Amino acid sequence: MRTLSRREFLRISALGAAGIAAAACQPKTVIVEKTVEVEKEKVVKETVVVEKEKEVTKVIEKEKEVVVTATPVPPSKQAPVLERLVSEGKLPPLEERLPVNPGVFATNDGIGKHGGTLRRGFTGVADRWGPTKLNDRALVWFDNKLVQVPRLAESWEVSDDATTWTFHLRKGIKWSDGMPFTAEAIKWRLENEYFNKTLTPSPTAFAIGKDKKQAEHLFPDEYTWTVKFPAPNAVFILGRGRADYWYPGHYMKKYHMDLTDDKAALEAEVTKKGFDSWVTYWNNDRMWWYLNFEMPRVSPWIGLGSLATELHTMERNPYFFAVDSEGQQLPYIDKVTHRLFTDPSVFNMWIVNGEIDFQNRHVSMGNYTLFKENEAKGAYKVFLGVSAGHVCISCNHTTKNPRLREFIQDRRVRIALSVCVNRDELNELVFNGLLTPRQYSPLSMSPQFYPKQAFAYIEYDPAKANKLLDEAGYSEKDAEGFRKWKDGSGETISFTIEGTAQPGTQDEDAVQRIVQYYNKVGIKCAYKGVDRSLYQEHYAANEIEMAFWGGDRTVLPLVAPIIWTCRQPDRPWGVAWALWDANPNNPNAEEPPAGHWVWTIWELWDKIVVEPDPAKQTALFHKILDIWAEELPQIGYLGESPAPVIVKNGFRGYLPGYPVDDPTGDEHLLQTETYYWEEPEKHV
Amino acid sequence: MVQYILKRIAIMIPTLVVVSIISFVVIQLPPGDYLTTYAMQLAQQGDAVDETELAALRDRYGLGMPIYVQYWKWVSGIIFRGDWGQSMEWQKPVKDLIWERMGLTVVLSLSSLFVGWFIAIPVGVYSATHQYSLLDYIASSISFIGVGTPGFLIALVVMWLAMTKLGISVGGLFSEQYILAPWSWEKVVDMLKHIWIPLLILALEGTAGGIRTTRANLLDELNKPYVITARAKGLKESRLIWKYPVRVALNPFFSTVGWSLAGLISGATLISVVLSLQTTGPMMLRALTSQDMYLAGSFLLLLSSLTVIGTLISDILLAWVDPRIRLTG
Repeated sequence: MRTLSRREFLRISALGAAGIAAAACQPKTVIVEKTVEVEKEKVVKETVVVEKEKEVTKVIEKEKEVVVTATPVPPSKQAPVLERLVSEGKLPPLEERLPVNPGVFATNDGIGKHGGTLRRGFTGVADRWGPTKLNDRALVWFDNKLVQVPRLAESWEVSDDATTWTFHLRKGIKWSDGMPFTAEAIKWRLENEYFNKTLTPSPTAFAIGKDKKQAEHLFPDEYTWTVKFPAPNAVFILGRGRADYWYPGHYMKKYHMDLTDDKAALEAEVTKKGFDSWVTYWNNDRMWWYLNFEMPRVSPWIGLGSLATELHTMERNPYFFAVDSEGQQLPYIDKVTHRLFTDPSVFNMWIVNGEIDFQNRHVSMGNYTLFKENEAKGAYKVFLGVSAGHVCISCNHTTKNPRLREFIQDRRVRIALSVCVNRDELNELVFNGLLTPRQYSPLSMSPQFYPKQAFAYIEYDPAKANKLLDEAGYSEKDAEGFRKWKDGSGETISFTIEGTAQPGTQDEDAVQRIVQYYNKVGIKCAYKGVDRSLYQEHYAANEIEMAFWGGDRTVLPLVAPIIWTCRQPDRPWGVAWALWDANPNNPNAEEPPAGHWVWTIWELWDKIVVEPDPAKQTALFHKILDIWAEELPQIGYLGESPAPVIVKNGFRGYLPGYPVDDPTGDEHLLQTETYYWEEPEKHV
Repeated sequence: MVQYILKRIAIMIPTLVVVSIISFVVIQLPPGDYLTTYAMQLAQQGDAVDETELAALRDRYGLGMPIYVQYWKWVSGIIFRGDWGQSMEWQKPVKDLIWERMGLTVVLSLSSLFVGWFIAIPVGVYSATHQYSLLDYIASSISFIGVGTPGFLIALVVMWLAMTKLGISVGGLFSEQYILAPWSWEKVVDMLKHIWIPLLILALEGTAGGIRTTRANLLDELNKPYVITARAKGLKESRLIWKYPVRVALNPFFSTVGWSLAGLISGATLISVVLSLQTTGPMMLRALTSQDMYLAGSFLLLLSSLTVIGTLISDILLAWVDPRIRLTG
């Protein structure tokens, strides 16, 4: 008995010990002989000793030179891996792959070198926007000053009345399979998908106005696309950065029932893949790059397989249409890999261990100190960009509770709620002082920045708050000091702030502190964190009284103005009005009262839409912001939260201090195809 | 006995039908559906929501249709075509998704089960027979830690220590270069380097409860008259302990073996989530929270079937092991 059990006991410890031993066992020295073909006149012998930091491993590379005498070749303008394919005859030479007038992208941090792999993390197919945003810049893009400049399009014009936009594509662009890319690609998609009633029952991408009138599309020549709207649409260009409306017709036609040569084969494939019909196969598989990776594209990288995998790889597109200022074909980076993680702790450990090369997505500011502490260990730096999120409270001006509605719609109350919060203290306590006290307003680097509104009513003045609340008629207080409604019922004012911030997060800490500040001036309220889908349902039914929501879209408000213009029911402050604006027949919709300033905001926006001059657009937008400065529809407390971007040492091309927001591509604003490794051979 | 088994199998089928209906309905109960959760998630991360994509997905999965239509679509697929539906989140057939992960899940669950039993029982017996000896105290302390500390916490601590003190890359079962590579000796070695953490944690968890249970039950039995009688009659100590009291003490193991069948699939969910292992546990958790109907429903159906079958197996086993139990009804 005794011998048996001791053996068992030792077995447990042996299991653990064996595991630790296996893991810690590392080879001591590895000598690798590498044969290098050198096209040089002289023989150069070099011994490179590479020492890695943590392990006791030495890799001694002895370069065995094989001298090949050849005529000196000019330095290559394309990546070595492509160079090899060209010399093997598998790929046409560079001049034939680039357009006649290739896009010249300015690099922000020196001229780059070809090669290397970029490692990132993602959480699965549902996180497809992570890999997508790397890759989806389209006709135009932004330069460092957030001004739109040509990209796939060589140039564009707009008519004086802002109804007609004309884009000139570069001559000679090719799809990733080598076929020519012309305006035909756009025409093909419009004719066969957009205007095809089976595929797209209600097309909206090129329709404007409440009655959704379609624009006319003209193709004067092979490289020109003209969009003629029935009414002025001055802001059309703002959305062209990431909307790509083209297809490789030569590839897609075999999946289109009206155009394919072999209907039977298509039917068979549709059934085999488990879809009901070719329409669902098209809409749910064939058109999406992350499911159909055989589809030719014009993006810098091409996906090598479905996203439903543990390691997703993207490789360079040999036909990418842009070069840097020295004529080297972009992108610099050869491969991009995304590694799957389920729990954020694993992702954080990868970062700390230096296994993530360049990422902002899923990197939480709450772990800032952890990332900073381990910068030396993981050989990376944390760059701080500026995120568009703000800490705000959205009061629902259209809440169903009539007393609360009266309360919220009183401007004095909103100003009181703004000045009763000590923004500096909130900033220090919750966010380590990293944010800026301001209202919900365009960021300081935005072309629409407006200090008058950004810093309106941000002073900390509880005395003024109390005075305003008294003036508004809420001076009666109950036994605990909380104010009562002014209808004489003797009931205490109380309401719920709803939001999706969960306990343990900085956001939840912030809103709880805000609630405390409100309590101090006699307003009784509480925060309730709810599940996302429940929050959505409440909004749709106009059940929200007040909401805590990190307002974003503040980098280029003109691209996505819906929060400012009260047109986004799930985020604002006038839910019923927003619903009414979208569809007056919605049972929860409500027309704003006559003379209300929301009408003025809508009128101003309608003027912006028809104004072709960007400077005048900004001036009109500032008028909207004037209304915001006076009325505070949504009360903002802090903003310009830093956005952490993990950048591995030696990774160049991205600079700190830039905005990180969705319409400008988050951390890809400076164009990922211009990012590069200082020493690509170390990051294969 | 045979009659009993046949009767139980006959009852299983209506049970499974009811379970499938309930699980399908319960998954739908939270407000909204997969797409609303997905859209909100996008909005919160600051991504633009592509309406055409949402419309296409809605159309494909029939999310607007009434619940009994969706249920029938799913169940008829399973019965007539062996098609468990399509996962909305992964955009792949459910069957493929579960099958892909089955290998690793079963390996981990079986090893933790065996380690649990083959270590716990002997150690528990030793602890009981040598009560208050040094090894008994050590075994008891370790088992208290194992029972008292949540597995995912141990996992996090071990991961952190492995990464900071030993410099090993953690998370997942392979280092990045081996994930998609074909099987080779290096890949096996790499897997062994990573797999010891989950095995260690699962072993700790699995043995802890078992040791305590065995020890407690055996201590009860060892004072019974029949043990003293057997000793008086001259039976060798080891043979006497293993043949009689231990069999009685093992009663709870046999009653719960049924649930381990279901645990094979969903076992160690939290640990797998923390360690980023590609097992079915995290996938099921994700499916439930994002209301990925067909994937979550299929998991629940699978788990319930395994539980029902497992309970039958454990009933039979118990009747076989313990002659005091008469099968009635």
